[in-house]
Amino acid sequence: MSAKRGPRPTSERLRRLLVMLPWLMERGEVPLAEMADRFDLTVEQLVKDIELVSMCGLPPFVDELIDVWIDDGVVSTGIPRVFTRPLRLTAPEGFALLAAARVAMQMPGADPDGSLARALRKLAAALGDDAVVVEAGAPPAAAAIAAAAESCERLHIGYWSATADEPSERDITPRRMFLDRGRWYVIADDHRSNELRTFRIDRIASWERSGIFGDAREVAVPTGDEWFADADLPVVRVRLLAAAGWVVERYPTRSVQPGLDATVVELTVTHRRWLEQLLLRLGPSAQVLAPAEWVDLGAAAAASLLVRYDAEGNDAN
Amino acid sequence: MVDALERVTNLVALLLETRAPITLEQIGNELRGQYPVGDSALRGSFERDKALLREIGVPLETEVLGGADAGKTAYRIDRRRYELADLDLTADERHALQMAVAAARLSEGEFGLLKLGAGGGVTTTVVTNIPDAPALPALREAAASHAVAGFDYHGTPRQLQPYALLLREGFWYVIGRDLAHEADRTYRVDRIEGKVDIGEPGAFSRPAGFDPRRAFPTDPKLIGDEPLARAVVHVDAARAGSVVADLGADALVEQFADGSVRVEVPCANLDAFRSWLFGLGSHGEVLSPPDVRNEVVRWLRAMVAAR
Repeated sequence: MSAKRGPRPTSERLRRLLVMLPWLMERGEVPLAEMADRFDLTVEQLVKDIELVSMCGLPPFVDELIDVWIDDGVVSTGIPRVFTRPLRLTAPEGFALLAAARVAMQMPGADPDGSLARALRKLAAALGDDAVVVEAGAPPAAAAIAAAAESCERLHIGYWSATADEPSERDITPRRMFLDRGRWYVIADDHRSNELRTFRIDRIASWERSGIFGDAREVAVPTGDEWFADADLPVVRVRLLAAAGWVVERYPTRSVQPGLDATVVELTVTHRRWLEQLLLRLGPSAQVLAPAEWVDLGAAAAASLLVRYDAEGNDAN
Repeated sequence: MVDALERVTNLVALLLETRAPITLEQIGNELRGQYPVGDSALRGSFERDKALLREIGVPLETEVLGGADAGKTAYRIDRRRYELADLDLTADERHALQMAVAAARLSEGEFGLLKLGAGGGVTTTVVTNIPDAPALPALREAAASHAVAGFDYHGTPRQLQPYALLLREGFWYVIGRDLAHEADRTYRVDRIEGKVDIGEPGAFSRPAGFDPRRAFPTDPKLIGDEPLARAVVHVDAARAGSVVADLGADALVEQFADGSVRVEVPCANLDAFRSWLFGLGSHGEVLSPPDVRNEVVRWLRAMVAAR
């Protein structure tokens, strides 16, 4: 929620106070550590803010003070005063809550009449209207993958591997599932390589339960920006004309240098085949600058596709 | 002088509790010793505090006075607008919302949850990375309150009656009636430049039964002057199954003994069609119509020639 270190801006401290005070007033007393944890502060930060607010109130600042104090590691309030209700939701908070709930309603197994749907209706009513529509339909395998991730069950799957350009069969234990840029992925133990691998769920053509259950394991999921930002992966430098500008919006970039008639970007390459396909799609509006071994990659990929068209000798040129 | 936090906390308390709007002069008097002395220093300090309150969403009301104080600005905070409405969430509903926000990992959402009385770290098996764009909250508010949204897009100012926001294929779109063009338009939200201005609420009504999902085709290959245009593509056995599953059985033209297929694919948008075709690598070949096939060949030859 926030970085706990370093100086905190006044706006951030006030924003939190206006939520903390009503929460505290409703409860009367709360252990310091519990309150600090809930509001994502260190105990020192919380003590500082509480001590300061105990001197606040209404003029002439004698008997109309905010009634809070700390004693034996417990924060207490007397008569609820002034800040009895939290500040309303801001536009960004309202949007984030609605969007998160709308996206969650698209997850496999979401119940259109369940508790999330009811919460969403109440939230939308409080915020005037909803006006947010999400399309993130999960692929057929998603429900089975999600269930296996919950129970740590091993699955036997048929998977189209884009890097090998062929179908494969493997055993995986799903760990975490995530949605990124409109696609669903699963991070799983791959029992063939004994490594953690990420699979695109829409490429899982078949799946079978094994009845073998593993131990739970903590696995981190990349955020939108970190995705593909693995330090071990090679980086390609490409010069893009305006027609290829969408690449910057579609894929995470390492660097972007806009120029007069072209933009130079650095992209992380998960696999050579991915880069080949990207270059084919961009055609004449992209040019690889580095590394040297990839400068002709697009031309070579185009030549190998042309074989198929030329062999039949029936194109119109 | 006192800590800035102490001063703004007192300022919020004062403006919440005052019966009538109060002028800056009165504020300076009431909070004596907390603001710097001197008119311009007081004014400067107060302007910064006002900006801070607006930044965190405190609804500050201003009013220009008449009578003896004619022309002076007075301030107050309307408690009814300041306070969070009671959503009346059950424990179940609060938990469900908490899980949804935890999956999305949006810090604004987490802060919103604190206001709703839910909070604390939760880790979910499923994570949803939701794309962000600065214009989103203002556009949603405009759409919800039926207010005209003004923004710059491709260097041109637009006036839009926003009907809804749509998240599709990892991008947010805003769909509504463009006032200058007098037509329904769709804009990519991440391409909106700068700030969104929100007009008066209740300025329009959304057409009955409006569904943003139908505002433009899901399949970019359909977006073009001839939406009915179709190309016939030969797909090798290796990709035949997934292609037919993706396009639907209606697209299947012919099935061969070696497992390969011929399918009909929309090609109104040639760029989108080419992208789709090249996604098949060497497993796909467009057969007809001739101009589409020629265009693909030309494209590939141009790439080879650029070597």
